[in-house]
Formats: sequence, C-alpha cells, structure tokens
Amino acid sequence: MKVGLFIPCYINAVYPQVGVASYKLLKSLGVNVDYPLDQTCCGQPMANAGFEDESVKLAKRFDHLFEQYDYIVGPSASCVVFVRDNYGRLLSNEQHRCQSEGKIYDICEFIHDVIKPASLPASFPHKVSIQNSCHGVRLMHLSSPSELNIPYYNKLRDLLSLVKDIEIVEPERPDECCGFGGMFAVEEHAVSGQMGRDKVNRHIATGAEYIAGADSSCLMHQSGIIARENLPIKTIHVVEILASGL
Amino acid sequence: MSSREDILQSIRRNTRVRYEKPDYAPLEEEATRYPDLEARFKEIMTQVGGQAVTLKKGDDINQVIKSLYPEARRIASTVDEVTTSDGKKLAITCATFHPDDVETPGELDGTDLAIIDGRIGVGENGAVWIQQDVEQRAIYFISEALVILLDRRNLVSNMHEAYKRIDTGEYGYGVFISGPSKTADIEQALVMGAHGARSVTVILV
Amino acid sequence: MSTKHSKAAEEFQANKGLAAWHDETLWMVRAKRDKMSKQLPEWEHLRDMACAIKMYSNSHLDQLLTEFEKNAQANGAHVYWAKDATEYCSIVYNILKGHNVKHFIKSKSMLAEECGLNEFLEEKGVEVVESDLGERILQLMHKKPSHIVMPAIHIKKEEIGELFVREMNTEPGNNDQTYLTHAARKNLRHKFIEAEAAMTGANFAVASTGECVVCTNEGNADMGTSQPKLQITAFGMEKIVPDRDSLGVFTRLLARSGTGQPITTYTSHYRKPRPGGELHIIIVDNGRSRILAEQDHIKTLNCLRCGACMNTCPVYRRSGGYSYTYFIPGPIGINLGMLKAPLHYYDNVSACSLCHSCQNVCPAKVDLADQIYRWRQKLDSLGVASSAKKTMSGGMKFLMERPELFNFALKNAPIVNAMPRWMLYNSLNDWGKEHEMPRFAKESFNDMWKKNKVK
Repeated sequence: MKVGLFIPCYINAVYPQVGVASYKLLKSLGVNVDYPLDQTCCGQPMANAGFEDESVKLAKRFDHLFEQYDYIVGPSASCVVFVRDNYGRLLSNEQHRCQSEGKIYDICEFIHDVIKPASLPASFPHKVSIQNSCHGVRLMHLSSPSELNIPYYNKLRDLLSLVKDIEIVEPERPDECCGFGGMFAVEEHAVSGQMGRDKVNRHIATGAEYIAGADSSCLMHQSGIIARENLPIKTIHVVEILASGL
Repeated sequence: MSSREDILQSIRRNTRVRYEKPDYAPLEEEATRYPDLEARFKEIMTQVGGQAVTLKKGDDINQVIKSLYPEARRIASTVDEVTTSDGKKLAITCATFHPDDVETPGELDGTDLAIIDGRIGVGENGAVWIQQDVEQRAIYFISEALVILLDRRNLVSNMHEAYKRIDTGEYGYGVFISGPSKTADIEQALVMGAHGARSVTVILV
Repeated sequence: MSTKHSKAAEEFQANKGLAAWHDETLWMVRAKRDKMSKQLPEWEHLRDMACAIKMYSNSHLDQLLTEFEKNAQANGAHVYWAKDATEYCSIVYNILKGHNVKHFIKSKSMLAEECGLNEFLEEKGVEVVESDLGERILQLMHKKPSHIVMPAIHIKKEEIGELFVREMNTEPGNNDQTYLTHAARKNLRHKFIEAEAAMTGANFAVASTGECVVCTNEGNADMGTSQPKLQITAFGMEKIVPDRDSLGVFTRLLARSGTGQPITTYTSHYRKPRPGGELHIIIVDNGRSRILAEQDHIKTLNCLRCGACMNTCPVYRRSGGYSYTYFIPGPIGINLGMLKAPLHYYDNVSACSLCHSCQNVCPAKVDLADQIYRWRQKLDSLGVASSAKKTMSGGMKFLMERPELFNFALKNAPIVNAMPRWMLYNSLNDWGKEHEMPRFAKESFNDMWKKNKVK
C-alpha cells in the first residue's frame, strides 16, 4: 500500500507542522508514505468562488502527481472532499479517467476507516472541543450531522478517544458553520466574522483549552478571530494531537 | 390559444424525465405506532395546548362539559346524541342553540362554547378530523372554546392511517384540528387564541 | 469585494443586540425542528418519500393538473389557469369586481406576494385585509415579510405595541404579546365578518379529489372562508400532489420542519363551495413550467415553503430577511430568485458559506447548497461575477499552476508577517476587518521536506 501525502497549499504555507504530524503519524502506523513534490492547490477556493473552470488544470496536475499511489491522504477534509466530489466532473473531458476521486481520503477518515488502530502512543492532557467542520460532517460524513435523524457517530471523537489523558467535548450547536467558506469570509466578512466569533465563543463555553478539528481552514479562520479578540483558547489540528507522542 | 393550453404545452415541452410514482406501503408500514394510543393522545393534546379527557362509565356528559367550561353561557352543539364506545346513547342537553339556527355565520360571533363531533383522532399529533356536518362551518372556528366528542375506538397512530379513513362528506369540507388556535408572530412568544378557539378539549367517549 | 447582500448584512450586524436576538430566536426554531424530527424513527424515509412524490408530481404536471381540474369542476368549483402574475391578479380582480366586492380578506400566500396581488387590487380600489397576525402587522406598517413562515420575525414587540395603539386603540405601553394578539383577534374578527370574499393560498392541491389543502395555526384561512360565501384559492402549480395518501407524508413533515410542531393547528380541506356559495380556484404558472427544463434546478419545485432552510442557515440568521434582494430570503430564496431573473437577483448568491445544512433540513430534499454552488459557476458567463473575486481567483490559478512560482512565494511569504500593521490592515483588506492575518511559517512544508526535516 503506497500512500501519497497531499498537503494543501495553505497548510504548506501556514501550518507545516500539520504536514509533519501527518507524515509522522502515518509512518508510525506502518504506512508506506511519500510526499510527491510540486503540489500546490486543489482548486477549491476558485471553484467555491464560482470559477470552477480555473481548477481544471490544477485537477489534471493533481491527478497526474498522485498517479502512482494507491491512496492519496491529506489533512484537510474540505480539500479532500472537493477532489472526491468534483474532480470526476471537472476532468470529464480528459482522455483518461480521473483516478483521484476514488482513492483520496482525509487523514482522520483514512486512519479511522482503513488503518483502524486499536491504540496510539499519544498523550494530550488537555480539554479539547471538537470543531465539526461543515464539509467534514455533511460531505465527508466524519460525524452524524445534527440535522439528520441517524444514530450519533463521530470519527474524530473515536480517534481522539485513543489519546491518553485527553478530555473531549463538543460545543453547543455542534456542527454549525464557523463562517470560513473560502472567499465567503472576505466577500461576506460581516456575517462570516460574526459566525466565527459565535463559534469560538461556543468552544470557549465548554471550558476547553483547544479547538481541535480536521480542517485547518476552519481553524485558520477561528485563529484569526481569537487573535483579533484576544480570546482564551487555541486551535490545533487533530493529527497534531494524535501524533503528540511521536 | 387559451392560457390553459399554453401552460399545458409549456409543461409538456419542458418536462424531461418522468419519474415513477413511489410506493408508499413500506413507509406506511414502518410509521410510528403507539401501543397505548389513548395515553399517547392525551399526552400530545397537552403538548399542542389542549387537553383530552376520558368519559368514565356512568359520567354525565353534560355535567363533564359544564365543569370544564363553567362560564360558558352561549353554547352551540352540532351533536344531539353521542354513542359511547360501549354502546350507550347520551343526549347532549347543555347546548343553548344549534349553529344552523342563525341566518348568517357572523351571528355565531360571541359563542362561548361549541360542542362538535370528531371523526378520527391522531396519536402522533393530536389532530382530530372534523367532517363538516352543519351548514355554518364557521362554528368550528368562531367559538371561544371547543369540545370535540371522539369515540376512543377512532384513535389512530399516524397521518397515514388517518388519511385512509377520512372523508369530506356532502359539504365537501373537512379539517384536522390540533389544539387551540395559536400564533407566535410577535417575537416567537406562543399565544393561544389567535383567531379560532382559545381552548380545545377532546372528550373521549 | 461586496454584494448588495453583504452590504445589507453588514448594516444588519451593526445592531448587535437585534442581530444576536434574531440568530438565537431562529436557532430555537431549528432546535424545535430537530426535536420533532427525532421523535419519528422513520424521519429520513419520510423525507425520501416526500422528495420522490414531488419528483413524480412535478414530472407529471400535465396529467395531475388536468385531473385536478376535472375533479374540482365536478365538485362545483370554477377553475382558472394563469400564465403569469398579471393574469393571476386580473383573474382575482375580475372575480371580485363581478361580485361587487369591496372588503376582501386574505390569508397568507407566498404566491400573492410573488405576484404583487395586494398592490394590484389596492390600485383598483379593493381593500385587502391580511388576516395572518404577522402579515397584518406588516401590512399596517407597510413592510414586507422577512421570513416566509414567520413574516414579522424581525420586528420587536415594542414597535408592534406602538402600532396597535394607533391602529387598534390598545393601551399605550402594554406590549405584552398575549394582550396584543388578542387585540388583533378582536379587531380582525369584524373584518372577517364584514368581508364579501375571502382568499387563501394552498399548501397542497390534491389531483384525485380536486381539493385544496391549507395549513394554518391561527385559523385565519377558515375564519375567512367560513364567513363570506365567495372563496378564491390560488396555488402555484408545483403544489399539486397525486392523492390523499401523499398528504399523509407531507402533513407529517411540514410543521415539524417549519415550526417544530407535530402538525399545524388547522389542516383544512376545501373540496366544494359552501352551500349557496362559490369556490374559484386559480392554477398559476408564472415561470414554473420553465423550471421543469432546468435539470440542475428542477428540485426547487419540491419546496413546501416550510422555511426550515432559513431557520438553519447561519447566514440568514445573521443577516435577516431584508438583506436579500428577492422577496423570498434564505437558501431557497437565493435559488428561486436566480431562476426568476438572474441578472436582478445575483447579489444573493454570495449569502452562502456552502455549509450544506439547508439540504439536510429540507423535508423534500431540495439540493439547495449544490444549486447555489452551480449558480456561482454561472455568474461569470452571465457577466456579473465579482471582478475582485475573479482577479483573486485568476491570480491563484496563475500561481498554483506554477509550482516553481508557488515555492518561491512560500519562501518569501513570511516577509508578510513582518509588515507593519497599517500595510496589512487597511480598508482594502476585508479579511482584516474581522480577523488577524494568518502568520506564514518560517519554513513551508515543501522546504522542510526538501531539507529532509520531515521525519
């Protein structure tokens, strides 16, 4: 099983430690993982803003870059699900069939569903509040959406529960949008900012020290709010916690 | 060409895929059912802002109604006689008039209480089917309070079951009523008695 | 970078207290909806069924509408077909004129809002009285609904108290909701009784029986139609359902989804005219048959107008109904507006973070967020894409298609961290209005990997 590590553009630039933790974590779980160079962006920001066509070339590059791998695994539910749900359509005019959509996983989903570790050496003696991101929840099915009448499940909680000394909580309105939404955060900044402040405050109300999520984009948005308002909470990617003993 | 033809032609021109009619049976089969329907019905009636009481053996129905609405003076009834589930016939004598005695429905304004006949009661939501049985159906809405008489054997669990058993009758009108008239249009504060009855009691006979 | 929606939303947010109240209040309705839906284990199957029935009905409109017409006529109703808003308004007016109606009472109808019925009639001298409490408040205030089910949700009781002092002679300063509601009850009761005609919309029109079904909590539709002998009922043609069994599905979903009630207080079935009365039914197209051809957007015709998508929408709750330029706000309004006239209503397409919550609450499974995504893709070819967004997108494309350039940017990005605040946070930076900028890492992941630092 050969895994190609997908590091989204903003993680590359802003949160490289999330990439490092992802690599270490996969390695420690016995996964043959490699990082194909020259990755840039999956094209989601342009597509969500209404310029899907501008993602086609990137999709083609992406598909080619990961050709030789059995799995593509990346630490960003939103980017991963964009590839999974849209590349097939974006590349429908290409000669060869898009392969990425069938083999791409968010790292938490991959560890939970494919690797299924019974234990982890990690320890994280802190209280964390789970950031159930919209695309993680409603498009990737990482947890049961609060709107649906289906039994509760939460893959992030399952994984975090393997960590020693951790206390896990979820905020009120557990999967309400934090307001990021790519260029939405800029174009609709007043609403986006309020959504972000509301979200962060609900995380704070749980008494958690950290907001832990599988989408660095939501965390980046909330970090920006936390820094501006000087709020008493930090953000962390779930893989950083899972890799904390490594 | 008439608008009717225009519209139908436009529908036909624009309809692309014709989807099949789904089979309701599996859903109707699976729909929630309540083992103790009477208890469930009473509970849900409270939740929708009304109440349901059971007429016990030997109870005087007119006394029960009077004790529920002691202040009521102008009382209409569409029901002369009610048959209980164990076959007893009880005359409704506490009414002061029949709603069809008036010339215009506006004259029904000021009715304190209307006693009416319920056909089917629904356990999941407290709705009771009223099939119009008088000329002035205004009485179901204009009265300050409603007493609905319902045979306890006519309780069903859900709307699927209810729709299989209702009809609109010769007047061509029927309504499910679930509790008193209500609104939350001012700041989402729930208020009973928007336009229709302020109070609804279902008497299970 | 802004749209009419984002500007109006910013104004709405300027009143923090009211904005927070609006969000909390509508979230409460969403929470009630969750509770109600979770009481039924078969909930998700009900939604699937509602969607399937609508897909069937809306793909057999020709058959079902003619079946409805035949049955309604057999019941003694007059049936009319209106191609557009003007024809609908004219039909209503002609019926009223033919009966010399001066006082006309109406229950809430989104179709009437869509077609501008009240304005049309009032211009011709017919007094129209809205009988739904929320609609009546707005009518007296000369305002439009800000929500399709809770039309006056944005108005505080103090304003209503003042209005009622003027209009209904209530005690000044008494803003108690029960007191005000009962004052309106008394005031409107006379309007019901003096009306010469009553009008309703319809939540459902049943083909197999030719009856129209109207759901209200207040009982206003029935108070109206049980007083005057002349009844007019109009519905948009996607309200057609095949039979009563399908009502079993929809009546279980509608109020649970919309207001978090197990059913509306009144679910009225109008099949025949009153004895000695008349029932006039108007079937309205007004652009609906055109939507049938739009495969990407056809599911908007599934909409039951329950309002659940508004209550769950994090943007609607924080921007209010008036921030949208179409008369129906929220996720369904964004889509219906675009179907009506994209060049008029494209400003609403920004009002979505693509969180997809609306799709999950919709009782008839309209793919609301997916459709908004699709509309965004079309803005450029409609010539109305935001030029700033286009530039930003194009810039990203240029950068991201060139890994060498991207790597160069990664290397140099940390310089931004050291820039003085005035350069980072100025009026051009909309991100900076709400947040601090993310800080670029000293070394990107690419750099670390190349230097063999990732182990």
